[in-house]
Amino acid sequence: MTYLEYNVKTVPTGWRKILHLNWPLVVLLATVAGVGFLMLYSVAGGSFSPWAEPQIKRFGLGLVLMFVVAMVPIYFWRNMALVAYVGSLGLLVLVEFFGAVGMGAQRWIDLGFMRLQPSEVMKIAMVMLLAAYYDRLPLSRTSRPLWVLVPILIILLPTGLVLTQPDLGTAILLMTAGGLMMFLAGVHWLYFATVLSAACGGIWAVFQSRGTEWQLLEDYQFRRIDTFLDPSSDPLGAGYHITQAKIAMGSGGWTGRGFMQGTQSRLNFLPEKHTDFIFNTLAEEFGFVGGVSLLALYVLILLFCIVAAVQNRDRFSSLLILGVGLTFFLFFAVNMSMVMGLAPVVGVPLPMVSYGGSAMLVLMLAFGMVQSAHIHRPRQA
Amino acid sequence: MTRTPLRPLARILEARQKGENPDAIERENRRLRHEEIRDRLRLRAEGRLLVLAVMFVCAYGVVGARMGVLSASEPKEPRAQMTGASIVATRADITDRHGRILATNMSTHSLYAHPQQMVDPLRAAQELAAIFPDIDAEKLGARFTNPKTKFLWVKKKLSPEQLQAVHDIGEPGLLFGPREMRLYPNGALAAHVLGGASFGDEGVHAAEVIGTAGIEKYFDAEMRDPARQGVPLTLSLDLTIQAATEEVLDAGMKLLNAKGAASVLMDIYTGEVIAIASLPDFDPNDRPRVPIAGEKASDSPLFNRAVQGLYELGSTFKIFTAAQALQLGLVHPQTVIDTSPPYEVLGFKVGEFQGKNYGKLSVENVIVQSSNRGTAKLVMAIGRGRQKDFYENLGMFAPSSLEIVEARNAKPLIPERWTDLSAVTISYGHGISVSPLHLAAGYAMIGNGGHVVQPTLLKQDGPRMGDKLLRDDVAEQARTMLRHVVSAKKGTASFAEVPGYRVGGKTGTAEKPKERGGGYHKDKVIATFAALFPTDEPRYALVVMLDEPVETSGSTPRRTAGWTAVPVAAEMITRIAPLLDLRPDYDTGQVKTLTTASD
Repeated sequence: MTYLEYNVKTVPTGWRKILHLNWPLVVLLATVAGVGFLMLYSVAGGSFSPWAEPQIKRFGLGLVLMFVVAMVPIYFWRNMALVAYVGSLGLLVLVEFFGAVGMGAQRWIDLGFMRLQPSEVMKIAMVMLLAAYYDRLPLSRTSRPLWVLVPILIILLPTGLVLTQPDLGTAILLMTAGGLMMFLAGVHWLYFATVLSAACGGIWAVFQSRGTEWQLLEDYQFRRIDTFLDPSSDPLGAGYHITQAKIAMGSGGWTGRGFMQGTQSRLNFLPEKHTDFIFNTLAEEFGFVGGVSLLALYVLILLFCIVAAVQNRDRFSSLLILGVGLTFFLFFAVNMSMVMGLAPVVGVPLPMVSYGGSAMLVLMLAFGMVQSAHIHRPRQA
Repeated sequence: MTRTPLRPLARILEARQKGENPDAIERENRRLRHEEIRDRLRLRAEGRLLVLAVMFVCAYGVVGARMGVLSASEPKEPRAQMTGASIVATRADITDRHGRILATNMSTHSLYAHPQQMVDPLRAAQELAAIFPDIDAEKLGARFTNPKTKFLWVKKKLSPEQLQAVHDIGEPGLLFGPREMRLYPNGALAAHVLGGASFGDEGVHAAEVIGTAGIEKYFDAEMRDPARQGVPLTLSLDLTIQAATEEVLDAGMKLLNAKGAASVLMDIYTGEVIAIASLPDFDPNDRPRVPIAGEKASDSPLFNRAVQGLYELGSTFKIFTAAQALQLGLVHPQTVIDTSPPYEVLGFKVGEFQGKNYGKLSVENVIVQSSNRGTAKLVMAIGRGRQKDFYENLGMFAPSSLEIVEARNAKPLIPERWTDLSAVTISYGHGISVSPLHLAAGYAMIGNGGHVVQPTLLKQDGPRMGDKLLRDDVAEQARTMLRHVVSAKKGTASFAEVPGYRVGGKTGTAEKPKERGGGYHKDKVIATFAALFPTDEPRYALVVMLDEPVETSGSTPRRTAGWTAVPVAAEMITRIAPLLDLRPDYDTGQVKTLTTASD
């Protein structure tokens, strides 16, 4: 049952659409972004420049973008899925050849007013295409090997390109998000069991390959794993991030040192304090209470996404909402585990909070589509 | 799996009997089947979602729990930030042959600023200007307050006192980075050998020290190799002797109004360079700038006259001609040669110094009195091919192997075509330009019994002798001739008599060629004295070269080596022979007539 079969009359039109937005989600997103502004203001030493002000501007732009996207009927976005995917793939190839090199990796294209990271766009485009694919695919074919191969290709193509940049963090996010989408779409569980056991074998092989001629990872990637397993082995080198981050969280305690009182972050002990490690600033200044509050906000966002997806009886809409929620969750989970020393440092920002242009804009765009799916959901006649 | 048929026969027949449309039954069944499928899928989707939800809950739970654990942990003392890739900054020391330091490293600090963290940038700028006189407070203040500036270097090297003073400003935006710098504690001593070092990759936390010239550059990779673990590079130089040579050479250069000077002292068996000097020199701690276009490189203090300088070294070459003639059995030291004019080769009149006529001379006296026509006749007997081979074997055609980067480019200038005329001029040291180092190696060959030696700056364990060019008896005869140049009454180097040490050597006074071609300057010479000592058991070769010297004590200015380079070399040997552990031997004959008290 797809959108076109519904009684169109029950779907709101014109400005009435605004009333049918998923307003709790909008408020939650704005609150999380607000927390981000507060922290960016704090790490700059109580100043809107250089981080808070551009971030607020970008959020404003993102909000407008979200509303515009939300107003467009969801079938348009479904039809755009392939275009978006092919376009992002093209950009990824382009960045391979013409991209600027930053922090040792070739990741973005300079558009003049902002730096576009094609891998960010790809995360959403891939979710769109997978949702559109399973919407079109007859249910009975979902688990046929040939029809499982197509989404695997859809996932592996961009993952491979991102890996060559090299950006391990994003590659893992893409793989996981794609895999979970397939899982949600109802692909037989035996496929996942196979892939999981293969992955375990692969990890074993990676560790075995270390130091041999056919070494599968770069040396720096091995070092990150080493320091993850034992940060004290290199406290001033690669283990520095984690050590300092943990110190920041410990010094925050239960209620924190107070707004703008974080010594670790303000005195430059904490690296990347305005991007990947911004959560530690929060934890230092607002303590466990502040951290758990932010956690609760993220839980609520995901919860609202799941409810919206369950309510929605259009397969594309439902899959898209879940996919966006998943991506959001994965960002959050990987970043959190990373800054708290549960996972190796892979360079994934905290969604909506970390300073950064394309990540936030792309997320707002994705939530715009979630809103569109919500507004234009099929109603019982 | 059993499927209910879409059109069960019993029901259809029953419907037909009742007069109903049997298709309704099929529609009804079809709808039921679809609903069943949908329900099954929905169940599966919800199951999947449930699995995922459990994962979410777990993830959130783990993150939350971890947050709690970390919040409860005791914060440890924060450590200083160290994000920059560490640069290996430990460079090996350089020592002389006795382990005395020639180059080492010193820890200093660099000063940089993060203006955005400054409390009071303008006050900081003023206080800095008070500490460093070369800083302009207003300009620095403007840079500190520029909102775009996030980082700037203030000073690359700080003394401990300056470090404390800057620290006392108490400005959190002023930061220090450790920085190792290269230090040459002896200043200008052996400057041309050491060369110098500067910073390569510079980071906040360390800076790479790289060699820029001399042996620092030649062994740059070796000295920076962390695997070396700080083992110093031991040179063949002797610090004390180097200091004495430079002092004497500097005094001689000033006294004789020369514009430059060079000297090389070499162990004739090992090729080790014990002392090598070039004046004017410089302080490698503060290297002068490299000459720019339009300036003559050879006038820069950076120019190494002993290694890079290629000169026609004149009559010092005559001994090679004589030695080769003896080696080939063409003459005996006492064979008489008629050196009276005229003597022409290919229309070129071979002249003598100041137009003298020495008449008939023995081969030995050709050397002692330095006759051009005498050596010209010898070389015509040797033949130009054999002469060329001799010099080539002696290493006079290739850049010397000395371990400083400047040596590589100092390729001797030799004639393109080795004609009879070239052979004649080269027999008395014109038409071939070599460095004083090449000459020292050549004399070492005569001193050690005819073995070619490779000059080296690294301390050697034992003799390193190459091909043998002269027989022992020929080398002995050549050394006797050189001794007579000094000891004979008519010898050109009589000033080289040093009490207690028997010195042998040969002078050379070569007019400098004009820069734009067209003959030679009459009043600009290169005066050279190449010596071996002590001659009864030679150990060392010494070359002293003065660039444009003039001795003005007499009625007419004197420029010949006998009046310039020889006295300087004699003074040098007087100073350094005891330092080289050579025992003086006062052969005055008084011992024989000494009477004991009981006699």
